[in-house]
Amino acid sequence: MAATLTLRVVSPQEMVFEGEAVSVVLPAWDGKMGILPGHAPMISLLGGGRLAVDLPGGGSKHFFLNRGVVKVENNQVTILSEYAGADAPPQFDPGSAWLDPADPEEMSSAGNPLV
Amino acid sequence: MSQSREVKRRIRSVENTRQITRTMEMVATSKLKKATDRVYAARPYGDALDEIVRSLHDAGRAERFPILRVPETTRRAAVLLLTANRGLAGAFNVNLIREARRKLDELEEQGVDTELHVVGKKGIGYFRFQGREMSLQKTDLSDKPAPEDAESLVDPLRVRFEAGELDAVYVVASEFRSALSTPPRTIQLLPIEPSESRVDPENYILEPSQDEILTRLLPLYIRNKVYRALVENAAAEQGARRTAMKNATDNAADMLEQLKRTYNRARQAQITQEIAEIVGGAAAFD
Repeated sequence: MAATLTLRVVSPQEMVFEGEAVSVVLPAWDGKMGILPGHAPMISLLGGGRLAVDLPGGGSKHFFLNRGVVKVENNQVTILSEYAGADAPPQFDPGSAWLDPADPEEMSSAGNPLV
Repeated sequence: MSQSREVKRRIRSVENTRQITRTMEMVATSKLKKATDRVYAARPYGDALDEIVRSLHDAGRAERFPILRVPETTRRAAVLLLTANRGLAGAFNVNLIREARRKLDELEEQGVDTELHVVGKKGIGYFRFQGREMSLQKTDLSDKPAPEDAESLVDPLRVRFEAGELDAVYVVASEFRSALSTPPRTIQLLPIEPSESRVDPENYILEPSQDEILTRLLPLYIRNKVYRALVENAAAEQGARRTAMKNATDNAADMLEQLKRTYNRARQAQITQEIAEIVGGAAAFD
């Protein structure tokens, strides 16, 4: 099993990050989700919130994401986010970026707090 | 004497024009660089999104998702034409308008009701002159299109497609192959073509579910297609303008050469004549 993940963080305008990571904690659609090397293949929706990347040499990087999707396969992690950057997005929608405000059930399941 | 003065005036005028076209060429070159960077920077996201949507999309879902519906007959279609706000870009706008007209004619021949949405002053000006009704006229897009621009353009169309008011949506824009090759093309935005290459979704953990992911991603997918069309179109415009201005500058240089030759010839002829007159006058005294 490889000891690192190959991570790509991409927004519509640019590649925000491309490199190796030891672990990734991302704001999934229903809360925080951690990904370590050897993770099973997965496609998951993302909410809004903070992405934490632990780098191989120690140290970490943080990005803010808002709405998107993540794909994990063979230790390749591809994060596509409508917004991705070091600063919080201008219209940050902490808990419900992916949830329909008109639907109270969806709103009450908003479990991805802004860190 | 009068002829050489005339030529001199023309030389000055052509020199001024050349200065202007050369400056415009340089401006377009620098904008082209930035616009090209944006085209390339937009590719990873678009490609990855394409791949994910393709891997999740299958024909069986078409009935349950309004956005995936494939109408049996097309009754009403929308054409979104992207043109520039500014001219002096060679045949750039003309080519786009021609492609849009071709698509509209083709649809109308098949008995489809069409509606035309136009971005950019050049396209709007043309169709207004033709007296054609336009459902949307938008001129406030900058040289640097943002994803929000794509969102505001396409989301109303997508909602109407889902509601069954529209059966097809096309985008006419320039493809940015390189700075020199920017042919116009028509992209079919909706209905989404079922894809050939599929990854088996069984092999993935899908959170929350395949349907839910598709519901959320398809609008983003459509939006991203339009965003990429906007970005490529902006780059193509600068490329076309650079080429047009370079040709204009070169032509001005050729013209100057010709004019200078004419001027020198006139000047020489005049000197020769004066000398002949003096010599002739002196000979009369001998």
